[in-house]
Amino acid sequence: MTGTSAFFLRREDLVPLLEELAETLEVVAPVLVEGEAAFATWRGGALALDDKNPLASPMEFFLPKKEVLFRYVQYSGRYTFSEDPPRARLIFGMRPCDLQALKVIDGIFGAELPDIPYAGRRRSTIIVALNCTSPGEGCFCRSMGSGPGAEGGYDLLLTDLGRGYLVEPGSPAGVYILRAHQRHFEEADPEDQREKERLLALAGEEIIKRGPSLNPEKIREAIDGVDWEEAGRRCLACGGCSLVCPVCHCFSVLDQGVPDGERLRCRDTCILSGFSRMTSGANPRPALGERLRHWYLDKFVYIPEKTGLFGCVGCGRCSRVCLGEVDRWSLFKEAAE
Amino acid sequence: MKMDRSKKEADANGGTKIGRAAGAKPESYLPIQAEVVDIDVESSNTYLLSLRPMDEEDELVAVNYSPGQFLMVSVFGLGECPISIASSPTREPLQICVREAGKITQGIMAARVGDVLGIRGPFGNGFPVGSMRGKNVLIAGGGSGFATLRSLINYIADDRRDFRDVTVVYGARTSQDLYFTSEYGSWQAAKIEVGITVDMMDASWKGNVGLVTSLLADLDPVPGTAALCGPPMMIRAVARDLLGRGFIEPEIYISLERHMKCGVGKCEHCTMGRYHVCTNGPIFSYDVVGDLI
Ligand SMILES: Cc1cc2nc3c(=O)[nH]c(=O)nc-3n(C[C@H](O)[C@H](O)[C@H](O)COP(=O)(O)OP(=O)(O)OC[C@H]3O[C@@H](n4cnc5c(N)ncnc54)[C@H](O)[C@@H]3O)c2cc1C
Ligand code: SF4
Ligand code: SF4
Ligand code: FES
Repeated sequence: MTGTSAFFLRREDLVPLLEELAETLEVVAPVLVEGEAAFATWRGGALALDDKNPLASPMEFFLPKKEVLFRYVQYSGRYTFSEDPPRARLIFGMRPCDLQALKVIDGIFGAELPDIPYAGRRRSTIIVALNCTSPGEGCFCRSMGSGPGAEGGYDLLLTDLGRGYLVEPGSPAGVYILRAHQRHFEEADPEDQREKERLLALAGEEIIKRGPSLNPEKIREAIDGVDWEEAGRRCLACGGCSLVCPVCHCFSVLDQGVPDGERLRCRDTCILSGFSRMTSGANPRPALGERLRHWYLDKFVYIPEKTGLFGCVGCGRCSRVCLGEVDRWSLFKEAAE
Repeated sequence: MKMDRSKKEADANGGTKIGRAAGAKPESYLPIQAEVVDIDVESSNTYLLSLRPMDEEDELVAVNYSPGQFLMVSVFGLGECPISIASSPTREPLQICVREAGKITQGIMAARVGDVLGIRGPFGNGFPVGSMRGKNVLIAGGGSGFATLRSLINYIADDRRDFRDVTVVYGARTSQDLYFTSEYGSWQAAKIEVGITVDMMDASWKGNVGLVTSLLADLDPVPGTAALCGPPMMIRAVARDLLGRGFIEPEIYISLERHMKCGVGKCEHCTMGRYHVCTNGPIFSYDVVGDLI
């Protein structure tokens, strides 16, 4: 394998490659779970790559909905603790928007006080990303600058060219995989590179054609103009939007078991009324409208202040699950361009 | 509401870097174990617990903190909650003052001498004790918020010459709800002016009845820097009173309470606008949070 930076993987070689990788790593990929595409541990067989980006995002493998922070075992009044080491994992098929979400979470969970469980998983996960050549309805990654093409943050990047995939390494780990499994790869043709650019440009146009393009800077300004009380009346406070959002990361901590047991971390959401309620009963954000407003302020104002990146990556998942009638992006009509 | 964060944080930081202390591994969710070595009853529903880290490598935690910082205290099986450090780093042992509120605080209060609690921390910024030096200091507390101020008062008392006029005003519901009554004499002996008041009169009480603000009228503190902790109503009233006396907003420091689950700026329970009370606070100056409390 010479110094060329792009390779070609034939379509029929993808599954055999993943099978080889799965011998030493847990491979996570979009697969059909009860008829729906979802990121889950791949146990061989078909991949659900034709569908849109799964509702269940790969963030589950960095910040699970429920995890054991540590176990405690009591012996004559004293405790011993144990933590699970992170698993070596490869995530296949992660889209550019979710890669961007990972960068945002890096800015929060890897910041001044790093989150040990997250940092451990981050270090032991190999990311094989997939450029978005057929974007889903409701996607607006282009507006948020997170897609349809990935920019960095992956170990390997694949682009579906029809008869196979263009494969580009983005890290030493990616180069290592290319070397170790080189029988599956051939050197890419310069024409493949041009084909990739053409497909991504088409995807970008497709996104614009389908939905309004939003200007995040204008959303920031539009937040103050929204009638949040009214929006609060249409929201059911189900918390679905937060559960599918790859950037949402609110959690609660609770213990299970006496005298031995586990301290668990579970996903939570600031949309729920009890989230900030204090022991005194005082609640800093008692009205649902105020909590919705905070949700947006965090994504479009506070997270950018902390990480330099918007806290929304334009994956469109929140709109896909909303049971209420908070048609989020029509809240910000003024922000459409 | 704009501010220069790096400057504010440096200024608002009492000397200890935010949430970092040797041995305490604040970035991990694993607590260290601390043995309860003494228990004092402060009121019918409030105990003062003295703690000693069990492992030698964790001993620094007991002295390496600033007044105003807090710990995440665990009772394994019940959970973890934020509790202010009630002692001063100038004196051992490490102490927390816990008031019964729900299951975790009840669990802490059920501990006997010799039992083990988990602690993580210290967390938060603490009072800016460095910049308070050389100034007049007014300390105003209401209800159970007085625990964190006791840390500051004893810190000042142990370094008294570095501060100018020091005044403490403190109010509780009844005389039975007053904390640290045995220490007021030692504060006065250290030339700290102390005013105490209660909301409700009872047979055993011979002192003031009324709001903390009425003590301010009596004691007439000279403007300088102020440290406040208590219910929001009291904070607002005291801050307004102090501003009327010539105190300035950036010199009025308030210790805030929020629901907290992690203490390290991740879980988002404690957010107040753009701030995390656990890492950016719990101490904020009035110019920053005046319109948020
Ligand atoms: C910085 C800081 C310093 C503090 N210092 C002290 C101190 O020095 N001494 C002291 O006694 N207390 C202190 N507190 C308050 C203390 O943390 C609370 O009293 C404690 O968390 C209550 O926990 P609990 O399990 O006893 O009560 P809980 O059983 O949690 O219940 C009390 C109430 O809290 C609310 N609540 C709790 N958890 C949840 C949740 N997950 N979802 C929704 N609502 C919830 C509910 O309204 C509930 O009714 C401090 C708090 C902060 C933030
Ligand atoms: S806010 Fe909605 S569109 Fe934006 S990242 Fe979250 S789920 Fe995706
Ligand atoms: S998904 Fe819709 S209805 Fe449910 S909490 Fe979010 S905004 Fe409200
Ligand atoms: S307590 Fe978790 S973010 Fe502040």
